Amino acid sequence: MSVVVTLPQLGESVLEGTIARWLVKEGDRVERDQPLVEVTTDKVDAEIPAPEGGVVEAILAPEGATVEVGAELARIATGGAPARAPAGAPAARSSAPAPPATASERPAAPVRATPVAKRAAEEAGIDLARLEASGPGGRVRRADVERASAPAQAKAAGAPAPAAKAAGAKPARPPARARDDADAAARARFGHYAIQEGDQVVPMSPLRKLVAEHMVYSKRTSPHVGTVAEVDLGGVAAVREQHKRAFQAAHGLPLTYLPFVVHATVRALREYPALNASVLEDAIVEKRDIHVGIAVETDKGLVVPVLRHADRLSLAGLSAAIEDLSNRARTKKLTADDLKGGTFTVSNPGRTGNLYGFAIINQPQVGILRMGEIVKRPVVRELAGEDAIVIRPIMHLALSYDHRAVDGAPANGFLHRVKELLEEAEFDL
Amino acid sequence: MSEHFEVEWLGSVRYGEALERQLAAVEARRGGGPDRLLLLEHPPVITLGRSARPENLRSQPAALRARGVELFEVARGGDVTWHGPGQLVGYLVADLAARGTPDVGAWLRRIEASLSGALGALGVETRAIPGMTGVFLRADGPDGPRKLASIGVGLRGWISWHGFALNVTCDLSGFDDIVPCGLAGVRMTSVAEALGAAPTAALFERARLAVAAAFREGFA
Repeated sequence: MSVVVTLPQLGESVLEGTIARWLVKEGDRVERDQPLVEVTTDKVDAEIPAPEGGVVEAILAPEGATVEVGAELARIATGGAPARAPAGAPAARSSAPAPPATASERPAAPVRATPVAKRAAEEAGIDLARLEASGPGGRVRRADVERASAPAQAKAAGAPAPAAKAAGAKPARPPARARDDADAAARARFGHYAIQEGDQVVPMSPLRKLVAEHMVYSKRTSPHVGTVAEVDLGGVAAVREQHKRAFQAAHGLPLTYLPFVVHATVRALREYPALNASVLEDAIVEKRDIHVGIAVETDKGLVVPVLRHADRLSLAGLSAAIEDLSNRARTKKLTADDLKGGTFTVSNPGRTGNLYGFAIINQPQVGILRMGEIVKRPVVRELAGEDAIVIRPIMHLALSYDHRAVDGAPANGFLHRVKELLEEAEFDL
Repeated sequence: MSEHFEVEWLGSVRYGEALERQLAAVEARRGGGPDRLLLLEHPPVITLGRSARPENLRSQPAALRARGVELFEVARGGDVTWHGPGQLVGYLVADLAARGTPDVGAWLRRIEASLSGALGALGVETRAIPGMTGVFLRADGPDGPRKLASIGVGLRGWISWHGFALNVTCDLSGFDDIVPCGLAGVRMTSVAEALGAAPTAALFERARLAVAAAFREGFA
């Protein structure tokens, strides 16, 4: 039996903490309630106690790591566990190899390794069985993996690592640690700024940090391609004009452009499921359900609440749901569930200074549509067989899509379909 | 759910000794004792919280010791800070779960609010700055926010310790050895400076009583 120690919920505004120091090490015996680790968040240093007595089987988050609430910090083998003898107990077999009895029970002789080591080995594409184990009870520890992967990493830059290939392992992905080092080096070279007198230093809020991390992750993960359509909103404007008073009276809501755009988007997503998808390792998952995220800027930062089953909602239903989500976003009443599960996002960042622009994809989705400002423009239309210049309300609609999953033809087809639906303006109110 | 604190005034106590008294209070609280506020002053000392970065200490440790300034690394949140005579230090030992608010963010905001109430009673108008824990003067100085009180707590399970440090009549040059709380754009100020009053023992006494009252009577 073992219990997993996770970072507890320390408060509503606390989304993550940094591992300041471990007070125990792997193999230590701990009492219930004994402090295991110090985790810092803004102005708070929290000692996380052991939920049960036992032996620290594995430390899953290294010092200096920033982890989210709920993240696994350590695993403790509780009493009566067949896992291993407690370190320091009389006759502990800390240096002896695994006893043969264990091997005969499991003919495949599974390699004993800490969970961190297993994950590190998998990331580095290293076969655990080939490693020398330095842990108690013959367990492979992370340090063993790191020792073995260091030369492989050096080679990986030039030629593929032959050891990993020969073992039939997956091609080596650079472990996260190597990337962190590279990031730190790049930051030191290009990103250093020495604070000057008179500068205002505004620490990032946890939400700001989360948004920043997500943006960098998205850009690094998916190659964004942008495409823009010019949409004539004359038809929608006419529908709006005709119905807005009755709509306000019937639903108590203003009739804005956003629900029209979302409505057209979900209809187009039905026809182009490639845009309602996620990339999963080496597969593309096209989703049955359509849940549309609506990017809302609040004074605390950017949030993207989700309209669940947006394709099942009427225009009035979309209006009401959008109104509800944006109100709750601004009054900070959104729940975690409101923010989960989006399959596509529509961003409506405001009326001015925004002819068009390309949004960053909200991972793990593959597309995001960004509304530009609506401006009256002279455009050419055929009137009674003659070309004529007429004045129409025009909006530029910009689609960013993930080129790993979506090619130009379906992306352009999808965007064109959204444009058509908005220009046809056949909406049931 | 008890909202008030048993308040004690300990006078001037060296940092190491105060740490032991706090730990004793934590143990007592765990054994069912009361929530307590220990009010005191420290002889000059610089403490580094768990988020402290070495560059925020501007003077060499040896040079500090030669001037009689002690140096401690402590298990509280936050960066580096200075304590010394004329600064009212409050250690709050409280069981947040028993108070019905196991939320450290809310806890920090309530400490800010109580200090703000006490300062209001002294005629000092304050404000909170989102993202920067602490109590600041309502009016910024020419070079940015001016900070009156620093806050940093530690949690053992849900028992909170450490607390706040309010500059009342202290000589602010003590902060020259550090970048307070790691915030380079923030300048420290004191109650005396904010009121344009002389840094007298009487003023310190008034501040101490106002703070004690704010916490004894319960949170704002």
